[in-house]
Amino acid sequence: MVSRKITIINPSGLHLRPAGNLCKESLKYKSKIKINFGDKSANAKSVLSVLGVCIKFGDEIEFVCEGTDEEEALEAVCTLADDGFGENE
Amino acid sequence: MKGTGASSGIGIGKAVIVNDVLPEVLKRYIDDADREIEVFMEKLENTKKETARLAGILEEKASETEAQILNGHVLLMSDPALIDEITGIIKNEKICAESAIDSVCGNYADIFASMDDELMQQRAADMKDIRNRLIKAVLGIETVDTALIPAGSILVAQDLTPSMTAGLNPENICGIVTKFGGRTSHSAILSRALEIPAVVGAADILEYVNDADIVCFDGDSGEICINPDLKTLAEYEGKRDAFLRERSELNSYRGKTSQTLDGVRVELAANIGNPDDAKKALEYDAEGIGLFRTEFLFMDRNTAPSENEQFEAYKSVALIMGGKPVIIRTLDIGGDKEIPYMNIEKDENPFLGYRAVRLCLDRKDDIYKPQLRALLRASAFGNIKIMIPFITGVDEFRAAKAAVLEAMKELDLEGIKYNRGIEIGVMMETAAASIMADVIAKEADFFSIGTNDLTQYTLAVDRGNTKISYLYSTYNPAVLRSIRNIIYAGKNAGISVGMCGEAAADPKMVPLLLAWGLDEFSMSASSILKTRKAVMGYDTALLKEIADKALSFATEEEVRHYLEGIC
Repeated sequence: MVSRKITIINPSGLHLRPAGNLCKESLKYKSKIKINFGDKSANAKSVLSVLGVCIKFGDEIEFVCEGTDEEEALEAVCTLADDGFGENE
Repeated sequence: MKGTGASSGIGIGKAVIVNDVLPEVLKRYIDDADREIEVFMEKLENTKKETARLAGILEEKASETEAQILNGHVLLMSDPALIDEITGIIKNEKICAESAIDSVCGNYADIFASMDDELMQQRAADMKDIRNRLIKAVLGIETVDTALIPAGSILVAQDLTPSMTAGLNPENICGIVTKFGGRTSHSAILSRALEIPAVVGAADILEYVNDADIVCFDGDSGEICINPDLKTLAEYEGKRDAFLRERSELNSYRGKTSQTLDGVRVELAANIGNPDDAKKALEYDAEGIGLFRTEFLFMDRNTAPSENEQFEAYKSVALIMGGKPVIIRTLDIGGDKEIPYMNIEKDENPFLGYRAVRLCLDRKDDIYKPQLRALLRASAFGNIKIMIPFITGVDEFRAAKAAVLEAMKELDLEGIKYNRGIEIGVMMETAAASIMADVIAKEADFFSIGTNDLTQYTLAVDRGNTKISYLYSTYNPAVLRSIRNIIYAGKNAGISVGMCGEAAADPKMVPLLLAWGLDEFSMSASSILKTRKAVMGYDTALLKEIADKALSFATEEEVRHYLEGIC
């Protein structure tokens, strides 16, 4: 199991489109990818689950990946987060 | 009968009434859960495909907002957690698909609705809409069978939900009339995106109209006529044909560069009064916002808007416009507006009195500072520029800039981000500012000429007074010289000069403004394509002569006569 904390930099937070991009990316990996935010957690492969924890601009979240490709998965979701989940394109 | 004009154009056709009533969902127990899941998955795939198809059509029509709503639906319907939950319930509880969909989607809608966040409220609406659509799909109820709506139909409904429109064939619909909704409702935005004429908020429509009635309506005025006589019908047809001709011509200017024949590039921007207008501006292909009037935030309420409320409004416009420039004018208010909480004394002469920047500089703590802080904070989210109205001299402008600097220092101390290089410009609308334009230009980042007030203050004419309003004219040589002086002063100082009055879209003024070198033209959004067409037909080298000639006349009448002859 690997994990990393990141800060949300895209202005509208993890709303539908950025959450959708995160899920699409997450689905490429076999590992379980979890988001911890405060006392809540979400499954990064489900848009509804991610939306359900209501993550906003400036929030700090933790990605936790577990599985055969956990390192690659963590790297991929963190890179995506650094890009503002594709919202700045 | 009358509703709210929601999408321009004339609709003429046979009424097709669409009822979108969700059938009662009964909790049926089933024997073959695998078969039920199979049916559900098949209907889910079909619904997704249909939704994606319409999203594709909308993308082609350059309506990103609407396409995004539908693409969002596809995304939500593809969610593995949603599918697992629904199929899990069908399998474990052995209940029918519609009941499983109802409970799972309804549950998510409730979770989102309980969150204190506007965007999450939209997600709640999305989930309800998806629920209704999927339930209908598994029950085999077609919301709108596109095959059944023949060409030449006017769609009449209570309201259009994204799911209803997903199955529509826009080719066959020549008009939409709904009972509910306003200019910014889903139905309205969608009809504009698809360029289908529409009237919304026609409260009595369902009582008066029957299937196959002939319905005519005007998508601008909101006027609706059911079963018109031949003469009326002919009138509507004439109006429709003229409208279609003009639109197809103007549409060819969408996405084009606003550039003259000799390669001079200008910016065509929109004047707006609230964040919703910004969306409309983009629909009309605006290249920026040249004037965002902030008064709406302060009107019709009992207390001043908080810094945060203002921040959200400015930020949302900045985000809607992406990186395009957004010029926001600080509060322009005076004794002519009744705003009880502001405690402004009644002014004998409000237009020459305690107003705009004069009032703001006097009320720094409770009025100006919160607005400037909100503007600065919002500048971190887009290309915001601050415009100070009603400036009569460089001292006032310096004082306003000092107030901005103070606000910046506060934000620095609090560690709040903003755009340090934010441009601060002057709204050039007084005779004094025009005369001193060369001096002011040295300290301003940009000029924007407010022709409505500049005309009024230059000519000492109250245009609201019908006895003398004939004197109010932008073609008055004094006003024209004043405008030219401001543009030249700005150009000499190397700053950008725009115009945010009605004159910027006046076909008789455009050639003069181009000749003098105006950089930005800001107008009501609906005039943008027309103005782009005009700009693209001119060669500025040839316009110099026209502009010189126009300024050679002694009276307003001579100027107007000359311009009418050539434009």
